[in-house]
Amino acid sequence: MSSRTPTSNSRKAADRQRRAGELAAERAHAERRRRLRIAVASIAAVALVLTGLVVASVAGFGDGADDPAAASTSSADAAVKAATSVPPSALDAVGAGTSETPPTRVPDARAITQDGKPQVLYVGAEYCPFCAAQRWPVVVALSRFGTWKGLGGSESASDDVYPRTRTLTFHGASYTSDYLSFTGVETSTNQKVNGAYEKLDELKGEDARTFVTYARPPFISGPAGSIPFLSLGGEFVLGGSQYVPDVLVGKSRTDIASALDDPQSDTAQAVNGSANVLTAALCELTDGQPHNVCMSTGVMTAAKKLDAGS
Amino acid sequence: MTPTRRAVLLTLPLALLGLGVSIYLAYEHYSTSATLACPDTGAINCVKVTSSSYSELAGVPVALLGLVYYVGIVALCLPVAWRTASPLVSRLRIAALAAGVGFVFYLVWAELFRIDAICLWCTVVHVSTVVLFAVVLLLAALAPPAAGAQPMATAPARRGSPAA
Repeated sequence: MSSRTPTSNSRKAADRQRRAGELAAERAHAERRRRLRIAVASIAAVALVLTGLVVASVAGFGDGADDPAAASTSSADAAVKAATSVPPSALDAVGAGTSETPPTRVPDARAITQDGKPQVLYVGAEYCPFCAAQRWPVVVALSRFGTWKGLGGSESASDDVYPRTRTLTFHGASYTSDYLSFTGVETSTNQKVNGAYEKLDELKGEDARTFVTYARPPFISGPAGSIPFLSLGGEFVLGGSQYVPDVLVGKSRTDIASALDDPQSDTAQAVNGSANVLTAALCELTDGQPHNVCMSTGVMTAAKKLDAGS
Repeated sequence: MTPTRRAVLLTLPLALLGLGVSIYLAYEHYSTSATLACPDTGAINCVKVTSSSYSELAGVPVALLGLVYYVGIVALCLPVAWRTASPLVSRLRIAALAAGVGFVFYLVWAELFRIDAICLWCTVVHVSTVVLFAVVLLLAALAPPAAGAQPMATAPARRGSPAA
């Protein structure tokens, strides 16, 4: 029965080898197709995520557009955008500028923190012209450490000194930063009801205790309870504005904000200079972080003013 | 063109581009940032991005992280790395680029939703990272199947040789 010849056997063997080769080639092809599908799907997913981020940004998701507080501030958008993005070159060129009153160092200070970060507490009111002046450098300085949301436009009372000084308001605003936390309390509006300014935000809890403790001599130069009041992590306090508001009188918010880009303008000299002094104090709270902000020429120059005033 | 040569030609220039821009951004971070060749007003604002709170991660400058990262990526895209038979290098290359793409997502999100400004130089690094990721993935997908599948196809030829 050994009828199979060597030629027949080798032909069958060759067939088997050919089929095995074809099978292997098919498997290799299928494997390559599978890997290609995975690669293309991964690349498509990356493209989809990036496109989604851009589309969501353009559509305005996350910019507070659905937040009534943010919506009410839309008229001040241009001013907010300019005040929160003052070029570092404009700040560096000003140094301490015409800033007059620096924050004072609190002796034997007790660090005040919120969410594990030094807390910047602002207490003011929308009718108050000195608060109107002080908000600008606060916004400019804190923009270098984090991001504002929901800042709106406001102005001081028309029947007070420096009437209708255009400004921003912290009512309804929020601030996020890796270095600092911020609490802004606007206790009253700029509208009178029955002869008194309408109540707005309530100063309460630890913030009220900070205000009662430090918004009085000898920590500040004005009378007890003066506004605007600033506590920088409980280590520096400021009563009143750092500069005289007359440089802002008669100017629109957009005029004020756009003048911050020009280091030669009176507005930039006052606002950017005050912001640099505040930044120098804040850098002491953040251990010099961010490095490029705290080591910038403008802040280093302004720090001398801070020390001179302590 | 050999597969290695093709891979090197496709990836090394991109890796070197990313490294070059990372060196520039790191240099600017440790200088005043005032010389960044980029507008500093409006939506395109490199300084606003590179001096924002998002320019550092746990106290480490993102520019420095980018520089260190791209030194590693360049090493993984060198001809010697592409020639190596070890699958570990290929996996490390893909894993590093996938991690880079994840970090790009975070940075783009921060630019668009937190800082409200775009840094052109950073975007060059982001684009080179994403393109590198895509190229490396496609190269890996198109590469010959793993060594285990090869003997089936090559064995008959080897066995047949003596009989010929």
